[in-house]
This record gives sequence, structure tokens and C-alpha cells, in this order.
Amino acid sequence: MRKKGLLYILLSLAALTMIVPLLWMISTSLKSNQYILKMPPRIIPEEPTLDSYKQLFDLFPMLRMLFNSITVAVVVVGGQIITSLMAAYAFARMRFKGREFLFLIFIATMMVPFQVTITPLFITMRYFGWLNTYLGLIIPTLHTAFGTFQLRQALLTIPKELEESAFMDGANHFLVFSRIIVPLAKPAIATLCVLAFMSSWNSFLWPLIVTRSEEMMTLPVGLSALHGRYETKWNMVMSGSVVSIIPIVIVFIFSQRYFVQGISRSGIKD
Amino acid sequence: MVGENRIKKSFWVLFFILPAFTGLVLFTIIPIISSFVLTLFRWDLISEIQFAGLSNFRKLILDEKFWNALKHTVSFVIGYIPFVMVTGLFVALLMNGKIKGKGAFRTAFFIPVVSSWIAVALLWTWLFNPKFGLINYILALIGIAGPAWLYDPNWAMTAVIMTSVWKDTGFVMMLFLAGLQDIPQSLLEAASIDGATTVKRFFRITIPMLSPTIFFVMIVTMINSFQVFDQVWVMTEGGPAGSTSVLVEQVYKNAFRYYNMGYASTISLVLFLIILLITAVQIQGQKKWVHYA
Amino acid sequence: MKKKLIVLLMMICIIVSVSAKGQQGKEVTSESEKTEITYFTFSAAPDHLDHLDEMIAIFEEKNKDIKILVETAGWDDYFNKLQVNIAGGIAPDVFELNYENFVTYAAKGALYNMDELTAGDSSFSKDVYYPRSYDSFSYKNKQYGLPETFSTVVLYYNKDLFDAAGVAYPQENWTWDDAIEAAKKIRDPENDVWGLHSGIQFWEFYKKIAQNGGAVYDGNGNITIDSKENVEALQTMLDIQNKHGIMPTDAEMGGMSDGDLFVSGKLGMVVSGIWMFGAFGEADFNWDIEVEPGMKTKATHFFANTLAISSSSDKAEAAWKWAKFFTASEESAKMRIRTGWELPTIQDEKAVEAYLTMGNPANRQAVFDSLKYSIVPPVIEQQNELQDGIGMYLDQAKLQSISAEEALNLSRKVLEDLK
Repeated sequence: MRKKGLLYILLSLAALTMIVPLLWMISTSLKSNQYILKMPPRIIPEEPTLDSYKQLFDLFPMLRMLFNSITVAVVVVGGQIITSLMAAYAFARMRFKGREFLFLIFIATMMVPFQVTITPLFITMRYFGWLNTYLGLIIPTLHTAFGTFQLRQALLTIPKELEESAFMDGANHFLVFSRIIVPLAKPAIATLCVLAFMSSWNSFLWPLIVTRSEEMMTLPVGLSALHGRYETKWNMVMSGSVVSIIPIVIVFIFSQRYFVQGISRSGIKD
Repeated sequence: MVGENRIKKSFWVLFFILPAFTGLVLFTIIPIISSFVLTLFRWDLISEIQFAGLSNFRKLILDEKFWNALKHTVSFVIGYIPFVMVTGLFVALLMNGKIKGKGAFRTAFFIPVVSSWIAVALLWTWLFNPKFGLINYILALIGIAGPAWLYDPNWAMTAVIMTSVWKDTGFVMMLFLAGLQDIPQSLLEAASIDGATTVKRFFRITIPMLSPTIFFVMIVTMINSFQVFDQVWVMTEGGPAGSTSVLVEQVYKNAFRYYNMGYASTISLVLFLIILLITAVQIQGQKKWVHYA
Repeated sequence: MKKKLIVLLMMICIIVSVSAKGQQGKEVTSESEKTEITYFTFSAAPDHLDHLDEMIAIFEEKNKDIKILVETAGWDDYFNKLQVNIAGGIAPDVFELNYENFVTYAAKGALYNMDELTAGDSSFSKDVYYPRSYDSFSYKNKQYGLPETFSTVVLYYNKDLFDAAGVAYPQENWTWDDAIEAAKKIRDPENDVWGLHSGIQFWEFYKKIAQNGGAVYDGNGNITIDSKENVEALQTMLDIQNKHGIMPTDAEMGGMSDGDLFVSGKLGMVVSGIWMFGAFGEADFNWDIEVEPGMKTKATHFFANTLAISSSSDKAEAAWKWAKFFTASEESAKMRIRTGWELPTIQDEKAVEAYLTMGNPANRQAVFDSLKYSIVPPVIEQQNELQDGIGMYLDQAKLQSISAEEALNLSRKVLEDLK
């Protein structure tokens, strides 16, 4: 009984430290500029004001940028889940020559920092005529080696007996894939969904380079103007961050529905 | 009959792999190969590309800043990976058990993952503040005089590691949680009925069944930590006095500050080879301990 | 459920790509009579976009056949984006550069030679600009940029702290010894009040050595960074922090910038740029400015921005018109003064008068007095490597892990490698 109590206390303390940045972001966003960098910092603002939010929406085309970010993120996540699931199925459940080598290539692409690939990619985009378009923002990121890897690992834990009976009943790969395998991978898919959304939502360098006009900018790109050469408007940076975090947290909370322990194995004939 | 099957099989393989692979080739592999080819050239992005032979590689071997960055990157990797995997796994196990308010706790742990490094870096710069920061304040309560953390070349990297572990624990937690879902409850219950203790159940059932995920997390965190950049750039910009300079920071500086894309590509090629080698070793090693269904 | 989601996503994909084509179409098809010029700037967003639009409207009225498309990026990302665009063959027609990067871009042939444009333009006279600012943007005797704005670095001081300590305010003829004396009296460890802050970094360094009669390179391009005068000057800088106890170390400031410390009322004097007028305006104490102190002589920093035309632009004539208008017109100058968007480089007495009487700080004349002693930083093609290299050793000297002399000897090696 006491052990459980101690556990809850430790857990709550740890969770509290995790929430601190959000609290502090909110707190800073409610401060007017002069109070922001007063040392030592205060959690509760002396004169809380929603000014920085008002200024943010005044100074930037926030709704447009939100729209761009959401559109891009939704399409990219959908695309990444589909392409990764399919490739993961091939890598995990099918046998073919060169499978391991091809998979290694997938993983190897994660080992090169983006800073050196961005220029050739930009030139490719120019060649396709996709600069400053949704195509340019979305298409190059519709695939993900990370997601393919993650889903492959998840699919590998599914016992072969499940498909064997389906194949014997005359099912083809697509049916096995969609009716049997995919439902069993729900927690992994939900996880990828959240991580892919977050990655696309927070993505900065690529959208910065590929967009040219204000109407195509995503949220992080637009807000980067707040970091001036000589001074940074921290309260607006924080209100921008707060606005930015909300959609991801919402996606996360919804994804939790797929985390129910142990249900995934209900198909096995014990 | 056999021929027909082979064609059918090739069709299916292509059907499943092509969507991801096409994108990968066009938008990732081709740019990567371009950058590898660039290692033999000098290019400042503004004027003509010039052939440079192996001079970039010769420069690399003699470049003190490169070796310095390599050293610090390795320090980061060694300090960060075990730490973040243990905390991530520990929290995931807790979140998977019979805890009230699981959803709320999980969301809390996820918040740092989602926050931008700019906000996190600013916050931790204050926490690490030698005079007013919480960390030195707590240390003082136990009678320890805390170091100057981000302003002390001997401690800056440690501070960066601590911040990274704190921020990424939720990420690792999420990956482990997904893996834990695949462990049948029935198996654990049966074992417990048979008299197995929590510890035994953990090591004999949980860990082996979780091993594909552990393997995945290890590889991904290793690949990512070798390419650490954002937090270093925002917290210390490689300072103080180059004590947190890392490989991707050198890549970035050479590519965009020093107008030397060829040399930047060279550093990133070497980085790639290092990561590839370590990953290959890990993949070979997986046969010994990773347990697939 | 999943299938429906997939179908929905595919539909979004299709809709988006169709509308995306439309978006692209809108960009490429321009009214055939108008020439479109892209102008890339770092100083406009986010505060001055409206003011820029004002100027564009006036310009387009006077030049009905030209349309300006603005592209912006924050300072940290501006040059990354510029380089990638140039590499991709779509350099903006006109773009902003600061002085240090100007030399790099000019040396690499990225800029259009303006001599051709000035020769054919009888309405243009370079005398409208401050001579020093116009000449700053020539490279190897050819003109590559029109000076857009300038700012200077001055000494800010907290009058209330000076009064409380009974110290006389700084004067134009102050030396660093005077400043150090005053700072010692203002320094109040009990109340966490510091006397003075002058960063130990490249931008302060090159001025101090000039004030002591030294330089990074001599007139013939030889490396003189490790000269006796330079070591002396660096030692003075280090002593301010490490010996006299009047300046906080980075650790002691713990994340606060020097500007923040000044605004919080805990710093007697700070050397900073005139761009801080706005931020310091929020201070709740009285302050003013003065020309920064010197040593054997005075040397102050002159930052300048320029508008350059891309060497690959096929619309140089139109680009030239915009660059001229934005940098030299009266409307532009008035707008800058009115909005506090840096200072125009044209010799416009009326505008200057308006500026001098704008209020806090009172001694705005010091901004122009500083120009009397202004020097340009040592700039070579590999500017950033020079800065980072010297900066690294200044950092180490700051932390007292190497001496001033060692720092400059090591810097010499950096410079030798860059040749």
C-alpha cells in the first residue's frame, strides 16, 4: 500500500517537471515584454495580458498559416501511414530476394543530416515546378524510413499462424493485409500517427526553403520572423508556441484510444 | 504454374513496396547521392562548382574542429542513449500497468516531446542558471556548490545531455508503450498463476517479447543522437569555447556559414559511414537476443 | 473506419494537388505588361511589413510597369535561404545584405555591377548618400550595392545609477580608463548592480584594437593580429571582466543579454547599438547615450545594410529603379525615421532634424558624432570563418583558459589558414 503511494508521488513529481515547459510557455505568453526576462523568473505573471496573442494574430496571417500547417500535416500523415504500412508488410511478412538489403537501404537514409540534402532536393523541386506549392511541401515527405522501420518491428510480432489460415482459405495479400494485419497493428499505427503529425507540424527547414510567398508559409516558418537580428519578442514566441502545441496534444489524446492492453491478441486460437 | 506464382509474387512485392520506395528514391536517395558526389567538389552554392579531387578529405583529416566535434558527439551518444532508454522504458512500464490517470500522465510526459527546442532551451537555460537556477538551488540545499553548467566548458555537454534526456523520455516512452501493447496479457497472467515473480515475468516474458521494439528504439536513438543538432544549436551554439561542438553543427556551419558545401558533404559522408558501421554491427548482433514471433 | 479515412485522405490529396496547380499558375502568369521584381529582405518582418508595403505602393504608382514581390525571412535563416535560392537558379532580383556578407557575395560574383546602371542613368547622383556609406559597398573599385540603412554602436548609461553614486556623466572625450573608474564607483555587489558591459567578442574586439592603434590586417593585407597593441587592447577588455570586477561574466549573467541587464536597472553602462532605443524605452529609469570611449584614439562601429541586385537577374533595369527608390527617396527616409526602422543613409538635413528631436534618448546627436570616428570591420571573402575562428579564441581567453597573447597567436594561425 505504501509502495503504491510512493510510486504515485514520484510519478506525479516527474509528470510535473514535464508539464513545466508548457506552464512556463503559457506564463511567458501572458507577460508584457518588460517582465519576461526579469530575474528570478516568476511563474505567475504580475500583470497577465492577452496582448501577445492579439499582436500575434495582428502581425501574422495566423489563420492562413494554421490552414497550411494543418493541410500539409494531415495529408503527410495519411500518406506516411499508408506507404509505411505497406512497405512494412512487405518487409515483415513477405519473403523475397534482397529483402534485408533493401531494408538496410531504408534505414541508411536516416543516417544523413538534412542540411546536405536540402540543396539537391530544392533543385529537384524547381525542376518539377513545385516550388512554393502544396505539392512541394507535401510530396517529398510522403514516405518515412523511420515509420517503415517502426511498423515493420510491430508487424514482426504478429504470429504467422494468423495469416497461414487466411491464405489457406484463399485470401490474397491485400486481404490479409487489410483485414488481419492492419487491425492488429493499431497501437503502432496510432503512435506513428502522432509522431508523424508532430514531425510534419514542427517541420521548419524544408518549408522555409520551399515556400516563397507569405500565403504558403506554415506556422513555424512564419513565426521565425519573431527572432529578429537584435531582439526577440519572447512573449509572442511563446504565444506562438502555445498555439502551435494545441493541435498536436489533441492528436495525441485521441490516439490514446488505441492503447488498450492485450486486446490485440484476441484472434489467436488458444 | 511456378512461373505464374513468381510473377504474382513479384507483383505483390512491388505493390507493397513501390509507394514508399518511389518517394524514397526520388526525394531522399537521389539528394543523398548528390551530396556524396559533392564531396569531390568545391561549391559555395553561389558560384560555379569546381572539381576538388580528394582535397576535402585531406582537409578533414587535418581539421582539428572535426575531431573535436567527433569527440563531443561520441560523448553525447554515450551519455544520452543508455539514460534515455532506461527512463523511457521505466516510464512506459509504469504507464502500462494498473495506474489511475494513465492517460493524463502519458500526456504530461509527452508535452516536452512536442515543445519546440527554442522554448525548452530557454527554460532550461534558466533552470541551469548558476545563480538563480533551480538546479543549483537544490544542489545547494544538499550542500553542493553547483557548476556554471552551460557556461562551463566542462559541464555544458552534461547539461545538454540532461535536457535531451528529459525532453525525449516521452518519445521513447511512446515507442515502448506501443511495443508493450503487443504482449498478451494472458501470457503474463498465466505465468503469474504458475508462481512467477514480477521480476521473473519481466525478464522471461516482457523483455523477450519487447525485444523487437528495444532493438528498434536502440537503433533509432543511436542514429538520431549521432546527428544531434537542434538542442546544441539553440542552447550553446557549440560553445562555450567549442565544448559542445558536434558533427552536424560542423556540417551546418560549413554548408551555410562558410559557403563550403563540398566540405560539409564530406563531414556528413564520414558521419554516415560511422553510423552505418555501428548499425550494421547492431543488426548482426540482433540474432543473438532479439526474439521474433 | 480506416478505409473511410484512407479514401478521405486520398480525396484531400487530389483536391490539394489540383488547387496547388492553381496556386502555382497564379504566380507564374503575370499581366504581360508588368515586370515582376522579387525583393528579399530580412529587416522588414515582422514589424515593418506594412511600412514596406507603403513604399511599394508609392513606387508602383510612379512606375506602373513594375510590380514588386516581397519575400522575407528572419535574420537567422535569411542567408541559408538566399544561398539555396541562388544555387537553385532563382536568386531574388533585389536583396538586402549586411556589410559583412556583402563582401562575400561580391567576391563570389553574385552581385550585379552597378557601374553599368549608374552610367546610363542621368537622374542618379551618388552624392545623395553619405560618402562613406556609398563607398563601403564598392568592391575592387566597382559598385555593387546601394547603401540602405546604417546604425552605430554607442555607450548607453543609466543616469539614475550615476546620480546615486555621485559620478559625472560620460563625455565624448572619455577613454576606457574614465569608464572603468566610473564603473568601479557604480558597482554595488550587495544590490547586484554592475558597472559596465562591453562584450568580449569579435565586434567589440576589432574596435578596441583600432582604438589602441592596432588592426587585424595592415594596409597591405599582412596579418597583424598578434601585434603588441592588440594584445594590450585585448588585455584591457579582459581586465574589465576578470580583474576590476565591474563586468559580469556570461555565467553570472546566466542567460540574460547585456541589453536585458541594462533594462532591468542593474547595469551602469553598456555598449550596444542604436537599435536598442525601442527596447530600452521600456526602462523605468533615466538613461542617455554618448559616443563610446576610446583609448589612444577613438574608433566606433558602423553597421550598414545594402540593397544589391543579383548578377543573374534579367530585370536589372527595373531592379535598379526599385533599389534607387527604396534607398534614396525622401519618402523612404521619412518613413524610416518615423517608424524607427534603422537610419537612412541619405544626407537629408530635415530628416536628421526630425530624428534628433524625437525624444528618448536626448543626446541623439551622439549617433552622428560616432560617425566621425567610424571604422569598418576587417572583412575578407571568408568572413564567417574569420569571425568564428577569432571568436573561439576570444571565448577561451574570456574563460581564462588562455592568455590574451596566446589567443592572438592562435588567431594568427586561423588567418594564415584562410589565405
